Amino acid sequence: MSALGLSTRQFRDALRQGKPGIGPLTGLPTEHLKVRIGAQVPAYRPQDCFAAADLPLLDRFSQFALLAAREAVADSGLEPTALRAAAAVIGTGCGGKGTDEETYQRLYREARPRVHPLTIPKGMPSAAVSQLSMQLGITGPVFSVASACASAAHAVGLALILIRSGVVDVALAGGTDAPFTFGLMKAWEALRVLSTDTCRPFSKDRSGLVLGEGAAVVVLESRESARRRGAVLHAELAGCGMSADAAHITDPSVAGAARAMRAALADAALLPADVDYVNAHGTGTLANDVSETRALHQVFGDHAARLAVSSTKSMHGHSLGAAGAHELIATVLALEEGMMPPTANFTEAGEGCDLDYVPNEARQGRLRVALSNSFAFGGLNAVLALRAADR
Amino acid sequence: MAQDIENELIKAIVRQKKLDAATINRGSLLTELGITSLDAISIVYDIEEQFGIEVPNEALQGLQTVGDIVDSLTRLIEDQA
Repeated sequence: MSALGLSTRQFRDALRQGKPGIGPLTGLPTEHLKVRIGAQVPAYRPQDCFAAADLPLLDRFSQFALLAAREAVADSGLEPTALRAAAAVIGTGCGGKGTDEETYQRLYREARPRVHPLTIPKGMPSAAVSQLSMQLGITGPVFSVASACASAAHAVGLALILIRSGVVDVALAGGTDAPFTFGLMKAWEALRVLSTDTCRPFSKDRSGLVLGEGAAVVVLESRESARRRGAVLHAELAGCGMSADAAHITDPSVAGAARAMRAALADAALLPADVDYVNAHGTGTLANDVSETRALHQVFGDHAARLAVSSTKSMHGHSLGAAGAHELIATVLALEEGMMPPTANFTEAGEGCDLDYVPNEARQGRLRVALSNSFAFGGLNAVLALRAADR
Repeated sequence: MAQDIENELIKAIVRQKKLDAATINRGSLLTELGITSLDAISIVYDIEEQFGIEVPNEALQGLQTVGDIVDSLTRLIEDQA
């Protein structure tokens, strides 16, 4: 679920066409907003996807997570018994913000004497993953993860650890966020990192990030379990590297990012020269894009010039707690289809941005190994290393 | 008017960075005062609240000294008066 559509197929088609899903904001009052653009999920009507009786407990962020999980499970062919024993780890950056804001509106603006009794179970940050477990019958370890823009990548990393350590054979992992509320938009504007133009990662005239929304979920499975049931594999999650900058609450750190990438490579028993493609964190802010480029140079040395690096945030926006999962799926698709998604809206390379960013047009090519980077506010970094599935 | 802005700005910098106001003047370099990008937006927020103005992102680009901020804010206050 993303600005690029309601299914993985639509997501893939848009990435292939280099078609951004960024446009004027709808569904919230924009009169008092300076920033009126975003990457919203198009043509989405909750009533078409959920029974009316279910909706009172489903904040928008839970709805997205459920729809993404349904698609992943259907694609995986997993039986209910396998799901029962599985884990589910879903990242989110802001949880049930829509519910919170409705509640505050009633209390503080309208001075109403009471709020809806379902406010807490609907809006709590773990609501999405709880609903997922309830609707899919998942009874293994289930919890939510928060690390701002790296939440989904961390969720996937934790799910990987659960499988490798033998706690479970199967785990659903991913992220979800629905940040388009008036209050959150004002908060993001105040930080002065949002663009009023569009998202142009690595470009000279980039002017900040564009918020996105949605969810993405993958089914992770141990090799043995997948083999036993003859599952179709999209890619191999070879490793995960995590690090913290321990530096600044918003500025990125080259050292921290480099450490996470090296950790991912080491965890996957890969060398820098093995990597063909990097799905960048690439937010389009002045700070991140230069910092990330420097970190890539540090990790890859001479090989950096041979890497293809692209930011799909240029198309699906910065979907915060879902971004790591949107980007994981973009990377899996790249490996599966031999197609690198482009960095859209690219004009001319910015100062300090000297790599091959696959500008504007997707590129065919056989890819064997890829990384997906997430470098979050507060210096929290998670990098996923993937290999193309054995053919 | 510009003097008011300068005084209020210096007070805001003092609040944010716990510096001695006597050490801050128009010529003071923001980098020398240790003002980071987060400090700057917090200081500007104080001024926005106080003067009832909106400072767009563009007005904060290329500012190097306290005097630069004063001049930028003075222009904005006049425009938004």
